[in-house]
Amino acid sequence: MSATLAVLRKDLRLAWRDRSGWLAAASFAAISVLTYSFAFDLAAQDVRPLLPGVLWTTFLFAGIFAGGQSFQREAEQGTFDAMLMAPVPASAIYFGKALSNMLALIVVEVALLLLATILFDTTLITADLILIVAVGTVGYVSLTTLLSTLGSRARARAVLLPALALPLLVPLLIAAVRATGASLGEPAGTAPWTLLLVVFALWSSVGAALLFPMVVER
Amino acid sequence: MNVPRALTAAVHGVYGLRWLVLPPATAIAMFALLVGAVIAAPREIVEGEVQRLMYIHVPSALMTYLAFGITFVSSLIVLWKRDMRWDAAARASATVGVIFTAITLATGAIWGKPIWGVYWAWDARLTTTLVLFLIFSAYLLARAVAGPNDEQVARYAAVFAVIGALDIPLIHMSVSWWRTLHPQPIVFRPLDGPALPDEMLLVLMIGFGAIFLLVLWMTSLLTDAERLAQRTEALRARLDREDRG
Repeated sequence: MSATLAVLRKDLRLAWRDRSGWLAAASFAAISVLTYSFAFDLAAQDVRPLLPGVLWTTFLFAGIFAGGQSFQREAEQGTFDAMLMAPVPASAIYFGKALSNMLALIVVEVALLLLATILFDTTLITADLILIVAVGTVGYVSLTTLLSTLGSRARARAVLLPALALPLLVPLLIAAVRATGASLGEPAGTAPWTLLLVVFALWSSVGAALLFPMVVER
Repeated sequence: MNVPRALTAAVHGVYGLRWLVLPPATAIAMFALLVGAVIAAPREIVEGEVQRLMYIHVPSALMTYLAFGITFVSSLIVLWKRDMRWDAAARASATVGVIFTAITLATGAIWGKPIWGVYWAWDARLTTTLVLFLIFSAYLLARAVAGPNDEQVARYAAVFAVIGALDIPLIHMSVSWWRTLHPQPIVFRPLDGPALPDEMLLVLMIGFGAIFLLVLWMTSLLTDAERLAQRTEALRARLDREDRG
C-alpha cells in the first residue's frame, strides 16, 4: 500500500514537473474534438447522438498516447529495473502507475467535458456522466498501463500500442458510448451498459494487476 | 508406475508420430473435402453453387477456436513454466488461427454478397470474429518487433494472448447488445435452417475432419519452424559472443 502511494506520488510529481507530456495529451484531446466538429459539422445539428462517440474515441486515443509514456522514461533512465528490485510486490508498483495515469487522465477528461459543454451547449458536467467517465477510465487505463510495459522495446511502440489496445477495448468503448448516450437522454436500448462498464473495469484491473508481475519479471 | 510420467511419455510418443501421420491424413482428407464439396454434394436449390463455400467456412470458423485455444493454453504454460518451447507453439497456433479467421471472414463475405446482398453485416458473430482477427493480428505484430528468443517480449505476448482470449466473452456480449439496437439484416444461417440433407451433412463432417487435420499439421509445422528459428538465433548469439571473447 505504501509502495503504491510512493509510486503514485513520484509519478504525479514527475508529471507536474515535466508537464509537456500531459499537456500534449490534453491539447491532442482538444484538437481532436475540434476536428470531429469540423468533420461531422457538429455545430449545425443535434449533437447528442454523435457526442458520446466523439468523446470516448478522444478519451481512448489520448489515454493510449499519454499512457504509453508511463514506462518509457523509466526504461530510458534504467529506473524501472531499480524499482523492480525494491522488496515490494510488483503489483503495488502497477497500482501506483495505473492510479497516477488515471488521475491525470480524469483531469484531462473533465477539462474536455467542460470544453464540449461550452462548444456544444450541452450540459456534460453531471454527476452520473462523471461517474461513467471515471469507471470507463479505470477500465481502459488498467489495460493500457499493462500494455505500455512494451515500453523500452520498440521503435514501433507508438504504432503498436493502439493496435494492441483498441481491439481489447471494444466492449468498453461500446458500453461507455451507450451509457454516456443514455445519460444524455439518447435511446440506448435495454441492455445494462453501466453494469457492463463496471464489469469490464473490474475484469481489466484485476486481470492486469495479476498479470503485471509476469510481464515485468526479469 | 508413475502415472503422470507415463502420460507424458504417451503424449511425446504420439507427438513424435506427427510427420508420419499428419501429412498423408491431411492430404487424403483435404482431397475428400474438395471432391465432396465441389462434385459429390448436391447443388443447394435456393442458394446455388455459392453454398458449397459452407464446407470450408463452417469448419474453418470452428477450428479458429481450436487454434486460439492452443495459443491460450501455450501462453499460460509460457507464463507458468517459462519454457520457450511453448512460446513457439503459441506463436505458431496464433499464426494459424489468424489465417483461418481470415479464411472464415473472406468465404463469409463471398457467400454474403449473393445471399444477403451485402459482403458484410454487423451481426454479433461476424463482428466478434473480426475483433478476434484484429486482436491476434496485433499479437503477431507485437511478436514481429522482437527476435524469437526474446523472453521478455514472449511473456508480454503471452499476457496479451491470455487477456485477448478472456476478452472474447465480453466482446461477444457487448457486440450482441449493441446490435439489438439496429435493424438486423435478414440472415440465413446455413445450420439454422431445416436440417441438412444427409449428403451435405456427410461432406460437412469430412470438412470438419479435414480442416481439423490441416490446422494441426500447420500448427506443428510452424511450431517446428519457430523452434528452428529460436535455435538459429541462439547459435548466432553464441557465435557473436565467442567472436568477441
